[in-house]
Amino acid sequence: MSGTRFVNERMVGTSVLPNEAIPLVEGEGRFLNDISMAGMYHVAFLRSQHAHARLLKVDVSEARALPGVIHVLTGADLLGQVEPFKSMPNRFSGGQSTQHWLAVEKVRFCGEAICAVVAESRALAEDAIERIEVDYDPLPVVTNARAGERDGSPLVHDTCPNNYLIKREYQNGDVDGAFAAAHLVVKRRFQLGRKQAMCMEGRGCVAAWRDGSFKLSMWMSHQLPYVVRHYLARHLGLGETDIRVVAPQTGGGFGQKASIYPEEFVCAYLALQLRRPVKWVEDRLENMVASTHAREHDIEVELAFDAEGRILALQSDIWTDVGAYSTYLWSAGMEPLQTGGLMPGPYQVKALRYVTRGVATNKTPVGPYRAVGRPSASAALELLLDQAAAQLGIDPVEIRRRNIIPQSQMPFRNANNLVHDNVGYLPCLDMAVSKSGYRALRAEQREMLAKGKLRGIGIVCFAELTGLGTSTAVGPGTLLQPGRDAVTLRIETTGTLTLAAALPSQGQRIATAMRQVAADELGMRIDDIACLTNDTGMAPYGFGTFASRTAVFGSGAVIQAAGELRRRILDVAAHLMQVPAEELMLVDSVVETIDRTKSLPLRQLAERSFFSAKDIPSEINKGFEVTAFYDPKHGSFAAGAHVVVVDVDEETGGVEIVRYVAAEDVGRLINPAVVEGQIIGGIAQGVGEALLEQLVYDENGQPRTVTLADYLVPSALEVPHVELHHANTPSGALGGFKGCGEGSIIGALAGISCAVADALRQRGGDIFQFPATPERVLRGLGVALDEAV
Amino acid sequence: MPEQLSITLTVNGRTHTKDVAARTSLADFLRDQLHLTGTHLGCEHGVCGACTVTVDGRTVRSCLMLAVQADGREVTTIEGLKDPQGAWHPVQKAFFEHFAIQCGFCTPGFFATAIELLGSHPDPTEAQIREYLSGNICRCSGYQAIVEAVQAAAAALREQATQGHAPRERALHDHERG
Repeated sequence: MSGTRFVNERMVGTSVLPNEAIPLVEGEGRFLNDISMAGMYHVAFLRSQHAHARLLKVDVSEARALPGVIHVLTGADLLGQVEPFKSMPNRFSGGQSTQHWLAVEKVRFCGEAICAVVAESRALAEDAIERIEVDYDPLPVVTNARAGERDGSPLVHDTCPNNYLIKREYQNGDVDGAFAAAHLVVKRRFQLGRKQAMCMEGRGCVAAWRDGSFKLSMWMSHQLPYVVRHYLARHLGLGETDIRVVAPQTGGGFGQKASIYPEEFVCAYLALQLRRPVKWVEDRLENMVASTHAREHDIEVELAFDAEGRILALQSDIWTDVGAYSTYLWSAGMEPLQTGGLMPGPYQVKALRYVTRGVATNKTPVGPYRAVGRPSASAALELLLDQAAAQLGIDPVEIRRRNIIPQSQMPFRNANNLVHDNVGYLPCLDMAVSKSGYRALRAEQREMLAKGKLRGIGIVCFAELTGLGTSTAVGPGTLLQPGRDAVTLRIETTGTLTLAAALPSQGQRIATAMRQVAADELGMRIDDIACLTNDTGMAPYGFGTFASRTAVFGSGAVIQAAGELRRRILDVAAHLMQVPAEELMLVDSVVETIDRTKSLPLRQLAERSFFSAKDIPSEINKGFEVTAFYDPKHGSFAAGAHVVVVDVDEETGGVEIVRYVAAEDVGRLINPAVVEGQIIGGIAQGVGEALLEQLVYDENGQPRTVTLADYLVPSALEVPHVELHHANTPSGALGGFKGCGEGSIIGALAGISCAVADALRQRGGDIFQFPATPERVLRGLGVALDEAV
Repeated sequence: MPEQLSITLTVNGRTHTKDVAARTSLADFLRDQLHLTGTHLGCEHGVCGACTVTVDGRTVRSCLMLAVQADGREVTTIEGLKDPQGAWHPVQKAFFEHFAIQCGFCTPGFFATAIELLGSHPDPTEAQIREYLSGNICRCSGYQAIVEAVQAAAAALREQATQGHAPRERALHDHERG
C-alpha cells in the first residue's frame, strides 16, 4: 500500500494488506498457549475410556498425594456448587439432557471429562491422571441414529424417549398431491460421515483470579467472548461485571469454538477456588474426542417433477447422530433442523415436507461447524437433481436452470418460508458454465471414456443465508436469537480512531475489513484506525463471530456509528474554523473546506477538543465516542455455482480433482484477497468432507480415529487450484455486504459428490455414502470387497 | 523429579546452556525454557507440521525431537528469520503480501519448510511446491495463497542471488507505514 491516497480513493473493494497479520509473520502472535502468569497452575483432565458406563468408584487419593499436585476435582465435588449444563429449550426438543461439567454417576461418551487435576506443570498433572482409579460398569451403547430411535434401544438419557434430543415434522403445500400427480418421482439416500473442524489450534483457557477490578478474567480461544461471559456469570453465580473474557490470537474456529464446554468452566471454577491463575490447553487427542463433532447425516430424499423437469415437491427424512449431549447454547437442533429447513437451497420448491431427528448416541456431541446442515442438504438434493436429469434426458445444467429462483421473481418466498432477494443464482450458474467451458468438458469426458478413462463432472448451485438479523433464527427453535451487534468508534486525543466490537477473528482479517469500512465512512486514513475485537473489557456488547455474520453486522454498525461521529467532528471543526459545518468535509484524516482553501488536521482538532475544551461550547463538543447497534432484520442470501471435474482410478478407487471452477455471489467485497481466502479455504474443507475426513467409531462406541494419521485432513496435494470468479449482487444490508465464510463448503461437498457420482454413472454405478473413500468408490463401481476392508 | 541433563545449543544465533528433563521435547524446550512461543504445537505426534523448525539446516518436527538431541546443534525458529537489519526473509514478506496467512497457527512450520524447499529448488513448479509442503497442514487457506507466496518468494530469492545478496528491503517498515 502506498502511503498517499486520492480524495475519492475507496478502501472498500481493495485488498488492503492486513497489519494485524504482522505479529504472525514474526512469530509474535500471542495465542492462548503463549500466555503465562506468575503462580499459574496447569490443568489436565481424566477422560472416560468407555462410551457408556456407570461410574462405580473414582479414587483420586494416589493422584492427590503426588508431589506437585495441588488439587484433584471430581464431579461429586461440583454437585451443588455450580449449575450443570441443561440442554437449551428448543421448540422441537425431545427430552432434556443434563451435562455435568465433570461426569456424575454415568459417562456417556469416550472422552467425557471425569476429573480435573491441578498441578505445577502440565506434565505433572498428566502423571497424576495416570494414578486415578476409576471403576466402570459398562452399559449398552447407542452408536447409530436409526438404531437409537427404535423402541427398545438403550437410552443415552433416561429423560429422552427414543433418544430424541430433537424431532421436527414440517409441511408446507400439498406434498402428497404433488407426488401423486408427478410426471417423475426420484428418490435416493445420502449419508455423510462424522467429521470435525480440526482447527490447528485446539481449545484452551487461562482463568485468573482478581485480575484488575475483575474477580475472574478468562483468556479463552473462543468465537463468542460476550456470550461466554454471560454464561460464566450465570453458572458460577457471579455478576457479568465481575468477569472479563478475552479471546487472544485464535488458531481457527469454524464453529467449534462457538459452543460452551465444560472444561473452560471447570478452570474458571478452579481459579476462583484456588485464587490462582490456572491454564488448560487441549491436546490433539482431547480435541478429537472432546470438542464438538459435526454432520453425521443419513438422509432419504425424494423429488416430484412435472414433464418439463420442474420441481413440484420435495420431501426428506433425516436422521442426525448428534452425540451424547445437546451442545450447550445451540441445542442439538443445529444440524438436524437446518438440514431439513434449508434443503430447497436456491431452487423453487412449491411443496415441502421433512421429518428430521437429532438422535442421542454415545459419541462426542455434535455442534456448529462451518455451514451447519447445508452441505449435506445441498449434496443430497444436487445428487438427486442429476439422477432426475438423467431420467428426463436433459442436461444437469438445464434442470438447474429450470428450477432456480430467478431475479425477476424476487423477493421470492420459498416453501421453507425464507425470502430470497438481492441474490444472483442464475448469474452464478451462467458464469460457472461459461468460465469452465462446460460443453467442452462434457466432450472431453466422452473422449476419455472412449480411451477407458473415467472422468466425472459435477455442476451445482447453492444458497447460503448470511448475516441473520432479528427476524431470522440462527439456532432454529431456540431462545438464542442473536440478531444485533454493536460497534464503538472513538477518536483518541491524537486524532486516531479506535474501533471496538465483540467480533473476534480466527483468521478472517475482521480488523482489516472493519478498518476499511470505517476509513471510507469517516474519511480517515486507514493507518489512523485501530480495531479491537476480542475483549469484553473494551468492546460494546455483541454476540461474536459465527454464521457468516461478522462482516455484515460489523460494517453496518460502523456505517451507523460513523455518520454520527462525523457530524460531531464537523460541528467542532465548524466552530474552530469559523466555517459552516455543511461546507466542511473530512478527507484523509483532515477536515477541509469544500473549496479546499482551509484545513484542520483531525489530530489538532482532537487535541483541542480534549485539552482546550474551554474554547469549545459543550453543546458542540459532545465527545468523540459513538456506539451504534445494527440489526439487518433479514438475512442476506449469498450464492454460488461450482463446476468440479474428477478423474476416478478404477484400479484403486482413488479420486483426483483435476479442475475446480467457482462462481460466487458474496455481495459487495470489502477486501477481495481476504474474501478469496475464505472461499478457497471453505472449498478445501469441502474436499476433506467429500473425499477424506471421517471420524470412525467401532460398535462399542470407541473412537478409532484419534490422531491426524487416522483422520485425514487435506494437504496441498489434495486441494486443487481453484479458478474463482465473482458474480456479485449487492445485498439489502447496509453497505451491500454479505457473509462469505461458509457458502463455498456447501458447493464443494455437493460439487465433488456429484462429480464422483457422475463418473461412476458412466459405468452404471453410483455412490450413496460420503466421504467417497477409495473403498466406497470401488463398491460404487460394483467391485466386490471384503467387509473388513 | 525427572532426570535433568545439561545441553548447549545455538538458537537463532544465540548460544544457550540449560538443564532440561530428559523427556522434554525440543518444542517444549523452545517454548517453555527459551520463551520462543512462535513455534506452535498442532498435534504433538508429528503429522501437522506446525512445529517444524530448522536444525543444522534441515527441517525437523520439534514435537518429535527431544531437547537433548539438539545438544551441540544449531536451531532456527520463526523468531530467527529476519536478517540482522530486521528485514523480513523473502518467504515472510511473500506470505504477508499474498494473504497466505489466515489464523497463522500453521505459519511457522510452512516458513521452515518453504525455506528448505527454496534452498534446493530455486525455481520450483507448482506441483513441486505442493508436494514439498504436503507434510504441513493448513486448515484455513486452501493452500492456494501459500503456493503463490512460495512462487513469489522463489522469484525474490533468485533476484537477490543475481544481485549478489543485496540487502533486503525494509519490508516491515514499509508495511507499518501502510
